Amino acid sequence: MAVATASTATATAPTFGAAASRRWTTPTLVFVALVAIAVAVDPDVPDWLDVGLQTWVRDRYMWTVQNSNTSWLFTGVFNPLSDAIAWCVESVQWVLRGLRYPGVLALTGAIGWMTGGVRAAVSGVLAVLGVAVLGVWDPAMVTLSIMLTAVAIALLIGVPLGIWTARSDRAERVVRTFLDTAQVMPAFVYLIPVTIFFGIRYPPAVVATVVYAVPPAVRLTSLGLRQVPTVMNEVGESFGCTSWQQLVKVQLPMARRTLLLGLNQVIMMAFAIVVIASLLGADDLGNLVLKGLQKNDVGAAFVPGLAIVLLAVALDRITTGERSASSRPPLVRLPSVAWRTGALIGLGTVVVATLVAKVTDHTALPGALTVDISGSINDAVGWVQDNIRKDVPIIGGTESINDVLVADVLEPLREFLVWLPWLLIVVTTAIVAYLSKGWRLAAGCALCLAAIGTMGDIPGGEGGRTQLWDLAMDTLSQVLVAIVVSVAIALPLGIWAGRADRVQRVLRPFLDTAQVMPQFVYLIPVLFLFGAGRGAGVVASVIYAVPPCIRLTSLGLREVPIAPREAAISFGATRRQELVKVQLPLAFRAIMLGINQTILMVLATVIIAALVGAGALGLVAYEGFAKPIQKIGQSAAAGLSIVGLAIVLDRITQAWGTGPDRSRRE
Amino acid sequence: MRGLCSRRMGSPGEGGAVEPMISVRGLWKVYGHRAERIVGSPEADLPRRELEARTGCVVAMRDIDLDVAPGEVFVVMGLSGSGKSTLVRCLTRLIEPTAGTVTIGGVDVTAATDAQLLDIRRHRVSMVFQHFGLLPHRTLVDNVAFGLELQGADKRTRRATAASTLELVGLHGMGASKPHQLSGGQQQRVGLARALATDPDILLFDEPFSALDPLIRREMQDEVIRLRRDVRTTMVFITHDLGEALRLGDRIAIMRDGRFVQVGTPAEVVLEPADDYVRNFVRDVPRSHVVPVAAIMDPLGEGPYAGDVAAETKVRDIVARVAVSEHPLRVVDADGAAVGCVDRIAVLSVIANEDL
Repeated sequence: MAVATASTATATAPTFGAAASRRWTTPTLVFVALVAIAVAVDPDVPDWLDVGLQTWVRDRYMWTVQNSNTSWLFTGVFNPLSDAIAWCVESVQWVLRGLRYPGVLALTGAIGWMTGGVRAAVSGVLAVLGVAVLGVWDPAMVTLSIMLTAVAIALLIGVPLGIWTARSDRAERVVRTFLDTAQVMPAFVYLIPVTIFFGIRYPPAVVATVVYAVPPAVRLTSLGLRQVPTVMNEVGESFGCTSWQQLVKVQLPMARRTLLLGLNQVIMMAFAIVVIASLLGADDLGNLVLKGLQKNDVGAAFVPGLAIVLLAVALDRITTGERSASSRPPLVRLPSVAWRTGALIGLGTVVVATLVAKVTDHTALPGALTVDISGSINDAVGWVQDNIRKDVPIIGGTESINDVLVADVLEPLREFLVWLPWLLIVVTTAIVAYLSKGWRLAAGCALCLAAIGTMGDIPGGEGGRTQLWDLAMDTLSQVLVAIVVSVAIALPLGIWAGRADRVQRVLRPFLDTAQVMPQFVYLIPVLFLFGAGRGAGVVASVIYAVPPCIRLTSLGLREVPIAPREAAISFGATRRQELVKVQLPLAFRAIMLGINQTILMVLATVIIAALVGAGALGLVAYEGFAKPIQKIGQSAAAGLSIVGLAIVLDRITQAWGTGPDRSRRE
Repeated sequence: MRGLCSRRMGSPGEGGAVEPMISVRGLWKVYGHRAERIVGSPEADLPRRELEARTGCVVAMRDIDLDVAPGEVFVVMGLSGSGKSTLVRCLTRLIEPTAGTVTIGGVDVTAATDAQLLDIRRHRVSMVFQHFGLLPHRTLVDNVAFGLELQGADKRTRRATAASTLELVGLHGMGASKPHQLSGGQQQRVGLARALATDPDILLFDEPFSALDPLIRREMQDEVIRLRRDVRTTMVFITHDLGEALRLGDRIAIMRDGRFVQVGTPAEVVLEPADDYVRNFVRDVPRSHVVPVAAIMDPLGEGPYAGDVAAETKVRDIVARVAVSEHPLRVVDADGAAVGCVDRIAVLSVIANEDL
């Protein structure tokens, strides 16, 4: 078996690059030797490899628990910081409550109108109105206030960092390492340290959201500034711009579009995570969803879930109006006088709406106007469960799909991975990494995987203890299956959408909605269709990961320049030849990026999937969160293992998009 | 064509009577790790590929010496990759030269402090870019006023100056438009106006018209010739178009592989190419287009003369006049003094030799 794995890895060499074929013999010998060693030694992770990380983390945690009111670290740093954040959130809440729902509606409309015109205003207002109608106004405003505070802080940190990284290559390298880690790290992993240091309720929720939302702020600021054409920088310089003038007068205005896209991304990222952060006990929408899920009451989870989606849609619409409008942004075309008048009218409407609400004493929408849909949702769920889960002709129903997935795919794969000698997996991964990029990546990947071996074991399973390595292989099996299924669904759809406008039009609303939906929300339908278990976990990951992959594949195909395609057609290429010989090769990088994103998305749902019974590393990481005193150590170890897996998969697929190391000048 | 006739003869850079506006000595630009070790070393003379393989460095520009007199139009001509854009960027240190000195108006740019450098860029030198480089988020007026804004001029002054400069380049009343509403030629007029608005001593042109179609390009060249006559700014003009170089330049430098192959007046370059490379370039240029009558005139004779002609007039421009008269034309210099005469035979012999 070992030989077979190794030979498939080496056989793929030519596709990964010519660099490998040039120096062929030495690496082959090294590989064969490594594989031989890997097979010969102990197939299980040896006990002596345990570095005691779990105990170390638990000791640190106990220390913080005991010293939280005495140590300067808390009284001098974290407690004041928490208080300041809590104050911010409460102030925003105070404002939102002061505006009352008519004021908030008017404000949404005004912002939407100014950024994206009437359409953005109307869709924004309708979405917010929907939240009011659902009767969850107060928790929605709590969610909104946490999120707005987090976005503001994320921008305050992210934009200057982005500017710095755009201007210094060294800073870029350093910061990028942190960003990459933050992005592949599932949110739960840092929820734990965040609770330790920031207590409960709002502050940890805000901090966790900020950690998650800063990377896109930095990335897109940096990208926007770096995308400013060289000539524009030379123009500024040649006329004698100081560094500051260059930034303010040339670069920031030129990067405006990307910066606005960044703002939108930051808000969407914040939304995806703010709900998870609510596990920390804030009285917001996410908490309601969680309670519903825990009681298996789909209706009760669905209503706040829908409200979250509506809020996200509203914010997305009023911050992307400009992007979705024509290529010439409306803000720019309106003369400044009209813009100012517009702002005044908007402000006036907000004030009037608020005053009217105050006089008539409306805080939330009157009860008569709200609709409680949870009952009918539960009825619908009942019907669906009776009719779709079993005995559907041909496909057999969702439960049968689930059974097949678990019994015939996930379980055999898991057993196989656990059965394989652990070093062999490390070595094989390193070989793939070497062929994909080079020695450095190979060493990095091997280290990451080996690190999982050093995490020790946890109570439970056969014989009372289970190696974290085996749990990691369980997670890996789920992740691999989810990736394969996602790519198998998304690639053909993406290619189809990239070539047929009609398909693109049909898919687009779904993709747009999927993009603004926090991952949490996917769990609700998955849970009632598939029941709890590993199958549901995989399905949730797939649903979450497919849209960005479709989007990027389609975008990649559409961005292939027209000239080579015309050349191919003029030489008599059929549609198929045009696709295979021109479009796909030219869109290769974009498609690889799409696959890479798919993998990140799947990994991001690993812990979330644990909430619907996927078990493995995700569950261990989550448990520590529920019972920190007993389980914090193993939870941290599981979290780090997820990060290790994520880094390996991310880097290798990234390398497929960029190719092996070339000469140093590149 | 009027502009051409007012051009001065010879090479004002020579003679040393006037202090040069721009003076460049031993200027190098080498890209790569520890680039400074290449400067002046034997490796620098290796072929490009070999040098790169051996040291990882690429020489973009080597050992350039150059003087540009006040009011002179100095054209640097070369194909892509010859280093001409690097040269013009090194003049104001948009690209930091690896070695050598650049002096502009008596100030050593290469040794200038940040403040001095800003002052030079803001007040003394302006640049026109190949792809216009207009700021898309600003109106034309605000684009043109960009340099003034950086100088710290107040809003009213810079608006007024910008509006009048726009008028100067023929874009009267379009100040409120945005760059994307303009054609390429119009955009480059704005680029030109932006450079002129700060009233600089030196204008740098980096292939300003290569992105324009031929008719517009010709129009813009006429514009430069007109400006040249009216404003008499010193210009350094980068181009890959020999015709453009011959039309605009008082002197031309032909650049190849980072060095000057030949520096001379258009007539010198065409009539006495320094090597086969230059010869190949100028082979198709009709001699009569570049040869001034001063170069072919005979000593002043008895007369009578059919009329006077300025010494720097090109031969082809007097063909019609010598054709209709039996008598030769008297050649006069810039001060109006007669310096020689030119007759049909001389003109015809230039034209007859053209295809040789």
